Amino acid sequence: MTWADQVATAYDAGLAVPVTLEEGFGPLAVDVPATHWREAVTLARDVLGCGFFDWLSAVDELDEGFRVLCHLARRPQDGVPLAHLLVRTLLPRDAPVLPSVRDVFAGAGWHERETHEMFGIDFTADGAVLALEPLLLPEEFEGHPLRKDFVLASRVARPWPGAKEPGESDATVGRARRRPRPPGVPDEGTWRP
Amino acid sequence: MATVSDLPARSRGVIALIEENCTSCMLCARECPSWCIHIDSHQETDLPVGGGRPSTRNVLDRFAIDYAVCMYCSICVEVCPFDALHWAPEHEYAGAELVDLTHERDRLREWMWTVPPPDVLDEHAEPGKEVAAARKAATRRR
Amino acid sequence: MPAVGRPGPARFLLDGGERRSWSLSVLEVGLACCAVEFVAATAARPDLLVPDDGTAGERVEVLCVSGTVTDKLAPAVLALWEGLPEPKAVLSFGSCANSGGPYWDSYCVTKGVDQLLPVDVYVPGCPPRPESLVAGLRMLEERLASRVEPSS
Repeated sequence: MTWADQVATAYDAGLAVPVTLEEGFGPLAVDVPATHWREAVTLARDVLGCGFFDWLSAVDELDEGFRVLCHLARRPQDGVPLAHLLVRTLLPRDAPVLPSVRDVFAGAGWHERETHEMFGIDFTADGAVLALEPLLLPEEFEGHPLRKDFVLASRVARPWPGAKEPGESDATVGRARRRPRPPGVPDEGTWRP
Repeated sequence: MATVSDLPARSRGVIALIEENCTSCMLCARECPSWCIHIDSHQETDLPVGGGRPSTRNVLDRFAIDYAVCMYCSICVEVCPFDALHWAPEHEYAGAELVDLTHERDRLREWMWTVPPPDVLDEHAEPGKEVAAARKAATRRR
Repeated sequence: MPAVGRPGPARFLLDGGERRSWSLSVLEVGLACCAVEFVAATAARPDLLVPDDGTAGERVEVLCVSGTVTDKLAPAVLALWEGLPEPKAVLSFGSCANSGGPYWDSYCVTKGVDQLLPVDVYVPGCPPRPESLVAGLRMLEERLASRVEPSS
């Protein structure tokens, strides 16, 4: 039985809601609804033997919302090979709340703190939202940096040395003309989120 | 510890500039991910002697590399279409002030004298294009 | 046998040789990749950079900031500096410590340790070679000589 079959069988039997599997470029991914997040992660650990917690993070999928991913692995032993599993769920953008899995995997605690400060996703325990201390950002920091609408202001504010044309210098370049920007740097007017 | 002569020829110590090769095309300044190359230039028009169409060329006013920000990624050296930028293995150029780490044209030219010759090719390799071109030019002169 | 307790930070003395009565005692603040180059320097030249066991004579404390200073860690770096006794100096090692380096645009990187501390010597590189570190320390030694040794 392939790993994908094992995962599909385990989730069909153990989870009350249907899941979808994706075998693409990366590790095998299983998409679960947010309502059954804790059960899905616990199932991966207990039934599928994925005892190694690698990381938990999120991706800002714009209109779709926030996709929270948890990378787990089943350790190789006694002829059973190493297997990866990506457990994923989608959260609505306006109310990103997810139950915490820090009691399932103790290591998830720090990852949830980071995901909370970087994306603004709230994690709950026993129904109450956890007051998570910032892990990597200083206390005075405002905003959620890894959201796609959080603009990297430094590149907008600093003049790009490549904005000049060949044969131009700072003295001669026209102020009225719109300065070109390198790819990825937004225009000056849009830098307030 | 290694002295400069012990280091491999392509060691990334400092970037040197041949001003004569530079046409102010701005490619290095644009491709630099750290935005540490600063170029100012102006256009000059040449009137050829004996009539003919005037031609314009770019003249470099300022070429500076800010080594306080540079991450030595080599993108500028690789992208230059005119081979104006070269790596040199010199690495001892610490400064007491941050501005001392911004090297202007004259200092970048000084680094050229420390650029080592390119590695010798394997005897079965194709000779470099510049070798064939130089041989052609030499036979034409005769 | 030294008493077993909480280990303290490792300090290294730059061998001043015969010409100086004092030595530089370097406290390495290893924040990122540049810390590995510092380790390489101490490993490659155990004669030049010797562990400071406290028995050397007069010393000038040097805070060698190697690596990216993030806004979160900036108070800790400042606390280290304030804890050092005079005379003391700062060596900024690598692009990140000089100016924020390639991460100058980040939302949480301090654009150079000179935003927090008075830097005496800036060593360029990403990361600088171990030889650059020794050269930077020697330059710092020269600059400090006028401050530490009374001019006769």
